Amino acid sequence: MIKIRGIHKYYGDLHVLRGIDLDVDKGQVMCVIGPSGSGKSTLLRCINLLIQPDEGDIFLDNVRINSPEIRPEWVRQQVGMVFQSFNLFTHLTALKNVMIGLTRVKRVDAAEAREKAEWELERVGLGDKLDAYPAQLSGGQQQRVAIARALAMDPKIMLFDEPTSALDPEYIREVLDVMSRLAEEGMTMMVVTHEMGFAKTVADEVIFIDEGRIIEHGSPVEIFERPGHDRTKAFVSKILG
Amino acid sequence: MPGWLKNPIHLYRSEGVRIRNASAGQRSMQRRSLPKVFLYGRNLAITIAALGIVVSIGYQGAYNIAYAQEILRYLIQGFVVTLQAVAVVIPVGFILGFFFGWGRTSHSWLLRATGTAYVEFFRSLPPLVLIVFSSLLATLFLRNYFFVEDPHAIALWIGVLALAFHSGSYQAEIVRAGILSVPTGQLDAADSIGLTRLQSIFLIVLPQAFRVSLPAVGNEFASVIKDTSLISAIGGMELTFWGTLLFPDALGQDFNLVFIILTEVALLYFVLTFAVVRTVRAIENRFKVPGLEAAAL
Repeated sequence: MIKIRGIHKYYGDLHVLRGIDLDVDKGQVMCVIGPSGSGKSTLLRCINLLIQPDEGDIFLDNVRINSPEIRPEWVRQQVGMVFQSFNLFTHLTALKNVMIGLTRVKRVDAAEAREKAEWELERVGLGDKLDAYPAQLSGGQQQRVAIARALAMDPKIMLFDEPTSALDPEYIREVLDVMSRLAEEGMTMMVVTHEMGFAKTVADEVIFIDEGRIIEHGSPVEIFERPGHDRTKAFVSKILG
Repeated sequence: MPGWLKNPIHLYRSEGVRIRNASAGQRSMQRRSLPKVFLYGRNLAITIAALGIVVSIGYQGAYNIAYAQEILRYLIQGFVVTLQAVAVVIPVGFILGFFFGWGRTSHSWLLRATGTAYVEFFRSLPPLVLIVFSSLLATLFLRNYFFVEDPHAIALWIGVLALAFHSGSYQAEIVRAGILSVPTGQLDAADSIGLTRLQSIFLIVLPQAFRVSLPAVGNEFASVIKDTSLISAIGGMELTFWGTLLFPDALGQDFNLVFIILTEVALLYFVLTFAVVRTVRAIENRFKVPGLEAAAL
């Protein structure tokens, strides 16, 4: 579904991504781990073109998306993204947050969009919070609204950029549960996370990125229990404490 | 009983939403009302204003009623001109402020430079100088190049517009700050669901910037209302103009008349400012959203 070949990204002199090759198949859950500043978030942001890679190709269903003929909005409709800091639209209720993509991007009429948005919020367990504003919700609830907002667009793949890193510990579970259920339902997912429990149980594949390169990839067991590379070993031992 | 028990945390209620658990996030959302002192202050102001009316009526009764009534008629005539000036300055200033402030946040170098030049120029000059200078220039141009015989009325409105430009430069900074207060994450999120740049601006950034800027804009409105008195310098026959014109004569006749003039002028400005500020406050409340309460001035 996603095919990435040799992407590079520079920020001035900083070489953030140094040739990444990656395949994500339909229904696959891929977890991305790596130290901060390793380029995980940049990689994720390249896939929905929030960042344009400087070199290389990204294919979504065999269409090269990082090309000038492709409207980024068209790509982003098909790629859902969940952010570390939730980024719910502050001035809109939970329901409106989920509806806005449907009414304004997909041009669905209001009644239908409302129905769909209510259903998506129900799905993440927030059917009783439709009219709450983001500031009235806990971090965990906000992140679940953000997931519903992305899901409402019926994306082909969901990208999660450290979805639980900004959460108080007591709210992490509820977000991971929603994500696990999504994975069970067969959603294709790419998750940047340090939640090893989640990665172990849900991921089909784990990739370890350091200094803009994929150092190692394999099943969760391979990466966490029998890492082949020294840097992976060092990192895994640090996060597993 | 400790204070926090007497005043339990009010859970935010809006449009039928009830939040049962007051978690840390929600706690910060409880509406902070102004200290009582300010509410009393407002009532006090109204009371003083009411007393002012009584006093001035009293004086009119005690002394030369006909003359006092004549004064009031002139003052109201001036008030109408003030109203007209305000009706031009506030909308024009707001529109200028909005576009130039927005321009200053633009990616385009040209728009940013234009906005900055506008703000720096009109903010740095005293409004009185701006008004006099622009209306003199207008008189000159209208006479010499457009052969208008009596350019006075037009020049007067040019002066009013100059004040609007001055006010706009302040509002541009307010609007700019409002736009910059919207976190970049909001744009990331807007992009990520496929909104276009233009949609992001109109559906996400501006609605939030608007809510954050409104109190400061209201403050600027209140300030510029009184600045319209400066157009008396170019012969605008507004409220202050009439007040100062009637002053010497009143002083010669009866000192109480001076008091009446001042009270009435003050009262008329007060009523206008109060009405405008209240209107802005009502708009604020209408669009109020938890989490977007504007920063205090």
